[in-house]
Amino acid sequence: MDLFSIHTLLFAFKWVFVGLIYLALIVVVITVRREMGLRLGAGRPLPGSAPGKLIVLDPGGAPGVLAGSAIPLRSENSLGAEQDNDIVLEDSFVSGHHARLRWDGAEWWLEDLGSQNGTFVNQRQCRPYKPEPVPPGAALRLGEMQFELAE
Amino acid sequence: MLSRTRHPGRNTEAVLLALVITVLALGLALTSVGLQLRQDLHPLAGLPGLVPPVALVAALLAGAHFLLRLRRRTMEQILLPIVSLLFALGLIAIYRVRGAEGVWQQLLRGFVPGMGILMLFIWRPQVVETMRRWTLPLSLIGLALPIATAFFGVVDETGARLSLRLGPLPPIQTSDIIKIALIFFLAWYIEREGREATGRARIVLGGLRLPAVRHLLPGGMFVVLGTLALVQMRDYGAVLILTILFAGMLYAGFETRVFATVGLLGLGLALLAGAVLSVTWEVPIVIRYRFIAFVDPWSDAPLLLDGEPTGITVAEGPGYQIQQSIYATIAGGLTGTGLGLGTPSYVPLAHSDFIFAVVLEEMGAVVGLPALFLFAVVMLRLLRLAAVLPRVQEFERLVLVGIGIHLFVQVFVMVGGTLNLLPLTGVTIPFMSLGGAALIVNLAEIGIALGLAARLEEARR
Repeated sequence: MDLFSIHTLLFAFKWVFVGLIYLALIVVVITVRREMGLRLGAGRPLPGSAPGKLIVLDPGGAPGVLAGSAIPLRSENSLGAEQDNDIVLEDSFVSGHHARLRWDGAEWWLEDLGSQNGTFVNQRQCRPYKPEPVPPGAALRLGEMQFELAE
Repeated sequence: MLSRTRHPGRNTEAVLLALVITVLALGLALTSVGLQLRQDLHPLAGLPGLVPPVALVAALLAGAHFLLRLRRRTMEQILLPIVSLLFALGLIAIYRVRGAEGVWQQLLRGFVPGMGILMLFIWRPQVVETMRRWTLPLSLIGLALPIATAFFGVVDETGARLSLRLGPLPPIQTSDIIKIALIFFLAWYIEREGREATGRARIVLGGLRLPAVRHLLPGGMFVVLGTLALVQMRDYGAVLILTILFAGMLYAGFETRVFATVGLLGLGLALLAGAVLSVTWEVPIVIRYRFIAFVDPWSDAPLLLDGEPTGITVAEGPGYQIQQSIYATIAGGLTGTGLGLGTPSYVPLAHSDFIFAVVLEEMGAVVGLPALFLFAVVMLRLLRLAAVLPRVQEFERLVLVGIGIHLFVQVFVMVGGTLNLLPLTGVTIPFMSLGGAALIVNLAEIGIALGLAARLEEARR
């Protein structure tokens, strides 16, 4: 067969076509790998890991907690009287699993978990199971305990 | 908070999009040359006519890319290229079986408006929030359109009412609109009610928790009404997609135990309804024929219509398209017959339902399998984006999950149908099949994902 016949060219270009598709595929795989696999393995802190702490304004009935002490926060914190919470608040007006405080990368969100005595942000009661944004410097009240959310 | 990382730009996307446009141009050119050769015409005569469509696609993709650059977005660089590569493969297959006319139809009725919506979401990501605020009226319109179609729609040659004519516009297939309406409605509804429904699950049946009926009623009503409209339209494929979407989004949104209870109850109700229907309701002929054809496409058994023989066998009737699809797949084999050199026109509906058979015949498994892989990557990217969005953005996360399920299930059932691994279902393969409303909806879904990625990036900045 003639080396430069149209059929030879068609055959060659068909493989160029397939090759280009695979080139795109390789770029996709490399990108996915770079974005997913390596980042998960490296254990770097996620962008914007929890910048803030809770300052105790009023320890309420919790034993051994001093007003003015600071509680460091993670990006997700459960608050309540039970021992399995991230932050254990042994005030008798705080429910077992009282509330959850989350950092979403931009803002703090407080979610009341159906507590008995409610959760208050700046004296306003949160609706249960509705996360509410908490501005920096806001006053939080759970049971008899009062906090300030500091940057 | 300002990001301290170096701005990496969008070069990955630029490289990939350039590759995609080259693939599209080369594929269309090869197809054209192959077709011209078979007709003993000048091999290069068809090439000038291909420049405008390729230029149009390139311009729109470049437009979306530079819009993203202009907005200084760096996240999610592979979604748009993957989708456009799948679209390019579909467009090549459409050109093969429907010629330039099909290409222009796909571009003008689907791609151009779809990319327009996609660019809107890129330019103004807040639109998703506006849609969230207006979910209820929007999704009710989405529900009303198929219901209107079921009664006032245009009847096509098979007796199904699939499209609605609105004024001077070309008729639109409304069953695709209800899918996206359902995704938005369920996301909005689960976000609103899901937590309370989970928190106040009072009825406990041996460890199973059941939310109060009033929490489930609106969502259930929406699905039931949509299903009834689609049954009236005789679009049973869409019913299947709707059901899987409903189950999938409930699974994603509710606590597992609540989902298990609701799922079991739903399954029980469905079985009960099925038992009643099997006695009182005749299974529609479309479903029965498709199932018979699935079991044995080459069967010599006479085909029955209302109990009377129709004079043809299953193999000559509904089995025919499956046979042709299988023959096309075999003819393609590993490396394909070459673009423009196969005979995919034997497959009925090669441009819509069986587009994947055309890809397999002329480009072979060597292209068909990567295409499936790319669909899987699309699903993965959507779920990943849902996972990295903040927990509080439950609506957005559920929308992404719904979109992922929608796209993936359609690919799954259609490729399964093409290869006779599943009974054939009359939906489209996203981004590939010829179809106006379906392509617009699919591109809009990708636009929503890109818009949400942009919102996340703004929040992190």
